[in-house]
Amino acid sequence: MMFRLQLIIAVATLIAFLYVGSKVKKRVIELKYALVWFFVAILFLVIDIFPGTLEYLSDLMGIELPINMLMLFGFGFILLILYTFTIVITNQDRRIKRLIQETALLNYRLEEIEGALKKENIKVKKIKTRTADEGPEHKVKLVKEKKEVSETLEEEE
Amino acid sequence: MKKALVIIPAYNEEGNIIKTVEDIKKNAPSFDYVIINDCSKDDTMRLCEKSGYNVVNMPLNSGIGAAVQCGYLYAKRYGYEYAVQVDGDGQHDAAFLEEMLSIIKTEKMNMLIGSRFIEKEGFQSSGARRMGINWFSRLIKIFTGETVTDPTSGMRMVGRDVINFFAEEYPKDYPEPETAITVLKLGYTLKEIPVRMKAREEGTSSISFKRAIYYMFKVTIACFMAGIGYEKYKKEDFMDRSYGGEKL
Repeated sequence: MMFRLQLIIAVATLIAFLYVGSKVKKRVIELKYALVWFFVAILFLVIDIFPGTLEYLSDLMGIELPINMLMLFGFGFILLILYTFTIVITNQDRRIKRLIQETALLNYRLEEIEGALKKENIKVKKIKTRTADEGPEHKVKLVKEKKEVSETLEEEE
Repeated sequence: MKKALVIIPAYNEEGNIIKTVEDIKKNAPSFDYVIINDCSKDDTMRLCEKSGYNVVNMPLNSGIGAAVQCGYLYAKRYGYEYAVQVDGDGQHDAAFLEEMLSIIKTEKMNMLIGSRFIEKEGFQSSGARRMGINWFSRLIKIFTGETVTDPTSGMRMVGRDVINFFAEEYPKDYPEPETAITVLKLGYTLKEIPVRMKAREEGTSSISFKRAIYYMFKVTIACFMAGIGYEKYKKEDFMDRSYGGEKL
């Protein structure tokens, strides 16, 4: 009974390990965030192969059935993984918020500049030919257009 | 450019935004204003652009806290010395802004809160809300020893140092009571002055009945978090060494 369970857990853990590994290879999961999964999988395998550790620990903690100790371990690991993800989410949340704010202000700045140029009847034109070593300011050209206002004034005269 | 800025966070405020801005233009001439449109689904953006208002459009809806913080970031970048937050729903009376500005200047306060409950005039909110407000008032008293009669008031004016602080760190939603504690804990000076507020005319408050539970829970925990123990930031981190502001 115990051996069968050991085998099932070992196979399941290995499959999970390989599955996460393949996802990392396919760049679906970032290795940094998969580390906590690998860590848990390795611990699980160690406990599974040496059930003595589990019995020792359950004795130590006064748990009658070693399988309950395993459950406790599993639960602890899940909490650990969720905790690391909470930190990751918080970090990303802050960064996304700042990005949105910066984008909003950049857009505003751009509209400001475009508006100022438009007042001067200047159009921003893209230059198709450019060399790589020149900065972004060389990729556009400011073209001053003839003022339509003066033309209409002449017509009136 | 003027030295003081009104930050107007707006989310689906097509019914109120024009009234709010015109009120500020008319009754608060020493202020520039900026509308932070938090990706409204209604006509707010088009209305603002048609009227030629100064508006910053958030590319994604990110909540009132992020929108207001964007306003403080704007104030920091464009070198404003004072910034005040006014709700886009027309509840705040712009006539009090000039008074607040002169007080914050002469008394050299870091933060000024417009309170409905000092002279008990104007819109006083419902009974249940008053209870909530009292609760936060008491929390602030416990954690900081200071009396803030209207901790949920959205009408808050801050000076350059607190602008810098808010641009760096501002809660995601329902920030008012929590930031009052943080600001006091950091050692800034805070004062309340009496204002009158109006009842909301159009649209719905961001705190609907369903969200009241979340509000109480979140803000209470936030107050405890702000009130107890270790503070990551120091007042000196946000001291302004270049008055007049950094140039873009």
